[in-house]
Amino acid sequence: MNDIGEFTLMIALATSLYGTVAYVMAARGNRIDLYLSADKVPLITWACIMISSIALWKAFFTNDFSLQYVYAYSNIELDYFYKFSSFWGGQKGSLLFWALILTSYMMVVHIQNRSKNLIVVPYAMAVMLAITCFFLFLLNFSTNPFERIPLPPEDGRGLNPLLQNYWMVIHPPTLYLGYVGFTVPFAFAMAALISKNLDDAWIRLTRKWTVVSWFFLCMGNLFGASWAYVELGWGGYWAWDPVENAAFMPLIVATAYLHSVMIQEKKDMMKVWNMSLILLTFVMTIFGTFITRSGLIQSVHTFDEATLGYYFLGLLFFIIAVCTALIISRLPLLKSKNELDSFLSREAGFLFNNLLLLGIAFATFWGTIFPIISEAIRGVKITVGPPFYNQVNVPIGLALLALIGIGPIIAWRKATWSNLKKNFLKPLMFALIGGAILFPVVPLSNRSEIYTYIAFILCIFVLSSMLIEFYKGTMARYASSETYLGALGSLIWNNKRRYGGYTVHIGVVMIYAGIAASSSYGIHTEKRLKIGETIEIRDYMLRYEKLAAIQATSVKTRIIAQLAVEKDGKKIWTARPEKEFYKGQNQPVSEVDVRSTLASDLYVILADFSEDESATIKVYHNPMVKWLWTGGWIIALGTMVCAWPDRLEQRRRLERLKLQKIVFSPAQE
Amino acid sequence: MDRKKIKFALGSSLIVGTIGYLIATGINSTSTYFFTVSELMDQKVSFHGTGLKVKGNVVAGSIERDPGDYLNVQFAIEEKNRNLNVVYQGVTPDMFQDGGEVVVEGALDEQGVFHANTLLTSCPSKYEAEKEAGGMHPGTLPDYKPKLKPDPRKVDFLPKTTI
Repeated sequence: MNDIGEFTLMIALATSLYGTVAYVMAARGNRIDLYLSADKVPLITWACIMISSIALWKAFFTNDFSLQYVYAYSNIELDYFYKFSSFWGGQKGSLLFWALILTSYMMVVHIQNRSKNLIVVPYAMAVMLAITCFFLFLLNFSTNPFERIPLPPEDGRGLNPLLQNYWMVIHPPTLYLGYVGFTVPFAFAMAALISKNLDDAWIRLTRKWTVVSWFFLCMGNLFGASWAYVELGWGGYWAWDPVENAAFMPLIVATAYLHSVMIQEKKDMMKVWNMSLILLTFVMTIFGTFITRSGLIQSVHTFDEATLGYYFLGLLFFIIAVCTALIISRLPLLKSKNELDSFLSREAGFLFNNLLLLGIAFATFWGTIFPIISEAIRGVKITVGPPFYNQVNVPIGLALLALIGIGPIIAWRKATWSNLKKNFLKPLMFALIGGAILFPVVPLSNRSEIYTYIAFILCIFVLSSMLIEFYKGTMARYASSETYLGALGSLIWNNKRRYGGYTVHIGVVMIYAGIAASSSYGIHTEKRLKIGETIEIRDYMLRYEKLAAIQATSVKTRIIAQLAVEKDGKKIWTARPEKEFYKGQNQPVSEVDVRSTLASDLYVILADFSEDESATIKVYHNPMVKWLWTGGWIIALGTMVCAWPDRLEQRRRLERLKLQKIVFSPAQE
Repeated sequence: MDRKKIKFALGSSLIVGTIGYLIATGINSTSTYFFTVSELMDQKVSFHGTGLKVKGNVVAGSIERDPGDYLNVQFAIEEKNRNLNVVYQGVTPDMFQDGGEVVVEGALDEQGVFHANTLLTSCPSKYEAEKEAGGMHPGTLPDYKPKLKPDPRKVDFLPKTTI
């Protein structure tokens, strides 16, 4: 099976190389025979990579330690659950996993567009196949997951205990699904440039792909945050580590893209901008991969054998050069037909939203690569940490939050005074009232707390403007519907894109509130405790009751501390933070215990212990962290509404096209 | 260019300028130098008082804890045979141990002792290289393991669920 897996990787490389060339030649020379032949390539490539993947999974499940990769990331006693996820636990497997997702996406695109859009799709397929080639090249010649060990060892080394958490099964695939997903809109954008088909067809064809990829990337970031929160035991969920930034930057640029395409669809403007944004999003995903695979930047989670950096750097420069050249050569065709009218318009709102998002992305990028730049220029490595990112991104983020509230309720083209008064009076009033109520309650002693206060006021502003939109729409429909709920349902159902988007915004507001509160009101304390002693934090008192050791499995020993938690003299919870010792790993893993409520999290760590049963306990009190995760679920709901197939949307678009007197062309979705 | 375009160009450059200003001041006020131990020792200028990040390996046997206050830790880190004494107050990470690679963040005092306010240990996946260098044999639990014998009777805990 291993031989087969290795062999199919080779076949996949050969066919995808052929496919790239054949698609391009078919499209250029208008050769239907070549096209028909090339059209078989996606299936063959996908099948080959699938076989390779199955072979690797089989090696994991059958404990085939003759494979170096299986030996390094699994052992006999590893749970099947983690054997499955060890597949992407290391560099080699994760590249294969990447290729698997990419070709699976390609298959879906292929099926969606079978004998449709014959001008654009062959080029798009060629671009995707070319990128597949790159990964297959690495898999075949540089990081072959089927590399053998001549004398197979009896047992493997086991998966890193930090990775033995159910998030391991959820987080990396989610992030990869998002990362890889942006290849599709990118490929279509390139195809549009190459084939000079520069209306908004490529955007419409890939809108769902963009939304879904954005969704996975967003969820991947949130899952990563909550994994770090429960597993790494430092009380936080985000540290502005280079690898986190690597996942964060494409998300931010993609958010900008997601918004600015709406202007192109509605107003036929910002064509160059959109092209540049999708290119930038894709480049950011490659840059992110470069950071994680190169070991160039000091980070807490780089891969073991971080040797692939230069390949990715090469790919990065190649893509940037080719795409910039393409965009410049097509510049005359990308000219906008309309222009912005007024600052007080939704178009301007979108423009500023884009600038702010790119500002956040650039600040993050600059902070990430600053050590390299300073070393190159001044000869000393200068690093920036979380204070830098907070100092820069928090003000920009607050401005962005204000725009989330303004954008959806300001008029298109040019807002009149009466429009402003009608739409803004109520939300502003709510925000002011909310601010007045909060003023005596919240602390305002330093800059971070003042920012948090501002964030709360803005959150109330945005939330009330969104809810008023829902309310107004529901009321307007109530006349024709039986119940309020029915009216709300039909409102959302008939305007999925709009109200789905609003729902996502409500989720984002919750995340803002959670970040604002937890980052400035959080406190922590630590103490060495003997049995019976107590540690206090805010209103809580934790009494250390006992320490116990459990031989959980033959490979895992758990040391558990038990603490009774009291509030106002009443026992409300028993905290059981623990440390786990794994056979074969020389460091213990801390398992924290968290009591999570919407108001605040109580987060208890067993930091240390000694033989006399005394233990060091660290306690965090983090307000409103749960809002982040709840906001995430609301975003998920909103995205689902947005991505639901919608016939009305197409009809509305045709109406708009007729109004704009653009030549009628059949809808291609 | 007509007036509208100029207006938008001005508005946009105002935003871009503000962001640029934020980044520039942010870098100036928050950046810290990053050295390895030997690089720090070779610097001609004195760095005492300025924010520093220093990378090195914990000198074997140098970790000392204050018997009265367990959270008060002293240790030395070395790189290329140069040593740096560090004091640190707080919980040490799981991977903080003899020979382990650490990054400390803090400042030097006049005596050349480094006062760390954060202590970071490197990625756990490094255990691979360490083992191949003849470190710990897989299958042995660390010495760190307590003498607490697993005693089923003593345990009245509910198993914690991690799926």
